[in-house]
Amino acid sequence: MAEHNLEQIEKIREAVKQDLLGGRIDLLLGWEKGHYWWQSRPLFAQSEEDLEKLAWDSFCAVNLSRYLLEELKEHNKVGVLVKGCDARAFNRLLQDNMVPRDRVILYGLPCPGMLDYDRLAAEAGSVLLSITEENGQVVLITAEGEAKADRDEMLLDKCRGCIYPDPAVYDQMLLPPQGEKESPERFKKVEELEAMSAQERFAYWEKELSRCLRCYACRQACPYCSCRECFVEQENPRWQGRAYQPSENFMFHLIRAYHGAGRCIDCGECERSCPVGISLQELNRKLIKDINELYGDYEAGLDAELEPPLLTYRPDDPAAFSEK
Amino acid sequence: MSTAVNENAAGWEPLIVAFCCNWCSYAGGDMAGTSRMSYPANVKVIRVPCSSRMSPMFILRAFQRGADGVLVAGCHPGDCHYSTGNYHVRRRLSAFKRLVEFTGVEPDRFEVRWISSSEGDKFADEMADMTNKIKALGPNGKMRDARWQNIT
Amino acid sequence: MKKIIAREKLPELWAHLSEQGPLFLPIQDGPVVLFQPWFEGAEINLDAVNSAVSPKDLFLPREETFMHYRCSGKQLEMTPVEPGEPVTAFGVHPCDLKAIELLDRVFLGQEPPDALYQQRRENTTVIALSCSAADPFCFCGDFGVDPADAPGADIMAHLSDDSMLFESRTEKGAALLEQAGDLLADAPEETFSREAVQTADFNLQLEGLAENLKDRFDDPAWDQLYKSCLGCGVCTYVCPTCYCFDVEDFGHEAEGERFRCWDSCMYGHFTEMAGGHNPRPERKERVRQRFLHKLQYYPEIHDEIACVGCGRCLRSCPVNLDIVQAIKALGGEKIEKR
Repeated sequence: MAEHNLEQIEKIREAVKQDLLGGRIDLLLGWEKGHYWWQSRPLFAQSEEDLEKLAWDSFCAVNLSRYLLEELKEHNKVGVLVKGCDARAFNRLLQDNMVPRDRVILYGLPCPGMLDYDRLAAEAGSVLLSITEENGQVVLITAEGEAKADRDEMLLDKCRGCIYPDPAVYDQMLLPPQGEKESPERFKKVEELEAMSAQERFAYWEKELSRCLRCYACRQACPYCSCRECFVEQENPRWQGRAYQPSENFMFHLIRAYHGAGRCIDCGECERSCPVGISLQELNRKLIKDINELYGDYEAGLDAELEPPLLTYRPDDPAAFSEK
Repeated sequence: MSTAVNENAAGWEPLIVAFCCNWCSYAGGDMAGTSRMSYPANVKVIRVPCSSRMSPMFILRAFQRGADGVLVAGCHPGDCHYSTGNYHVRRRLSAFKRLVEFTGVEPDRFEVRWISSSEGDKFADEMADMTNKIKALGPNGKMRDARWQNIT
Repeated sequence: MKKIIAREKLPELWAHLSEQGPLFLPIQDGPVVLFQPWFEGAEINLDAVNSAVSPKDLFLPREETFMHYRCSGKQLEMTPVEPGEPVTAFGVHPCDLKAIELLDRVFLGQEPPDALYQQRRENTTVIALSCSAADPFCFCGDFGVDPADAPGADIMAHLSDDSMLFESRTEKGAALLEQAGDLLADAPEETFSREAVQTADFNLQLEGLAENLKDRFDDPAWDQLYKSCLGCGVCTYVCPTCYCFDVEDFGHEAEGERFRCWDSCMYGHFTEMAGGHNPRPERKERVRQRFLHKLQYYPEIHDEIACVGCGRCLRSCPVNLDIVQAIKALGGEKIEKR
């Protein structure tokens, strides 16, 4: 792990340690390393010993805010490390009245964009031993030597369209913010699909969705999916059948995406969680793009005070159908 | 694997499901009836309390079970019996219509119209218009559950 | 019987085999590799270490309609679905085949056997493929799997840079090789000298684990382990040894079809009873069930851990909660470090 990284972790640890040991928070949600250097899992720290495991690097992709739903049942005050998307997820939960603001302390971290191990490994060619990072580049270290790659090219898909790497809401910023990013390619794939004929689009989605195992990992990982009972499990009426029919696939994926209309923070956890790599974010982004076009620019999760576009209206709204 | 459609093209008649709001559009249908205007029998009307009662799942379920076209009809904006229901549904179904089109359904297969209780003529016209458009498009196989073909 | 074919001639072999009936093999589908029926132009990926989802799908399909029903008055008519054509599975890795043997014990090990599973098992010729590479998640070595050999295969295949060698192990396998005729050349003494594939060593102590777990149902380790679990069920769906299923009807009261489909113990609905009671109400109970089933309950009946070290849960879990972490948290780590 690079030097500056260890410094950063030390800084984060010092900041949260005071609060945890001093009783300002009962639990800290952070990340710890998995079996390998490119894996991170959520850390539920309650003691100084737990904090020793704290990690912060380019592989902390898991969105932690979702865990608040469960942890606030057990703990009175919870601290969370938040990247840009974790913070937007928090705002999202706040708007849905799923979390009480005064029982959560948010520690802000500027997100460098999380790296994709599969991309790094493919780029390295042979067994990848470790990486270091410098000046927008990743140095891939293999048994055969070192190679450099452009860092932006090695990002997880979900991080590629990111515009807001800094947390939009926090109680305390632990590291200096890095400012908004340009993302000209955010809607590129959506536009490509829009340019196709209806038949081609249908073929694309039918094939893409045919891989769906209906494990609902996309739902479970999603920070806006917080319904106590999801439509897919509703028994009466039974909206979602379990058969792997194309029509059932469309039912699930269209409704899942639509339930995020005006609410999806575009964190991409759904797509990252998908074990069969369905391009779920394109459905989400299509809705974001259209709602922005029709009803004005809105980024879910940036400002918890702003009313989500599908919960409000203006009498002179345009429509996507003829109103003659 | 594409959902096959069994309908014989020659004798085929489209099935159109029209969800009509109780206060305006359904009454508009009544008006068409009492005024002795005819509209195609292809349209099956389902009454909903307000156009904003429409869940997108109703629309997809209709397609799953064999609809070739789906129409949602409500009061004109500003005239909602519940004041703002149709303002909300305008936003919701605009987003949903574009999403459905994005996944490959032809735009004409799903429509939203505002029809008041006095517009019996408009009700009949819109139903005829929708039926003609769907006839031109042909049977819909997209999003249909092919298993229904085995079940009577 | 040993046969050999040049690698560039494999497409001809696949085309030939698919004429005899459905041929399943690892096909690149978008970003992942899945076992799917062969089609003209399919991108076959034999170099993939593991398919994203295990090929248990071949014997326990994610969805399988097995009966049509029709009621008229008091008459109930039930028509079973006809068994499918014989199937060939091409390129199943040794760990996945070992997993299928573990499933055999569940579905075929006691009377009456599961007819649907049995029919598919008998109907399928399995061509196993030895591994030419391992990824960091492969740890089959811990479970007695030899990446170079799959004892349960009908045909054992080995891949080299320019050719593929087949060795029949059963009559079914021999018949298949025979029937491929001129496409395959005899390879009487041909053998592959291959480097042993190095699998990951997570320093696990599996001996005696099942026994030890008997007293660990209320172990505080569970209180930590489950916390990161999202309850998404990815692990159970990609796992080659998970076999829980659900039975559902499609249609209406008077007519419809009955199918079974995969289910997962990670879901709240899995154990929910008609009255609404749920004996596994929270994620903790579900996580515990999944791991104890693999590590204690299955071994108690079948003397073997229900894991083959394929590494899919290590790769696919969105929060990196996997069976290795569970084994270690429950005292399954070797004390003396390497």
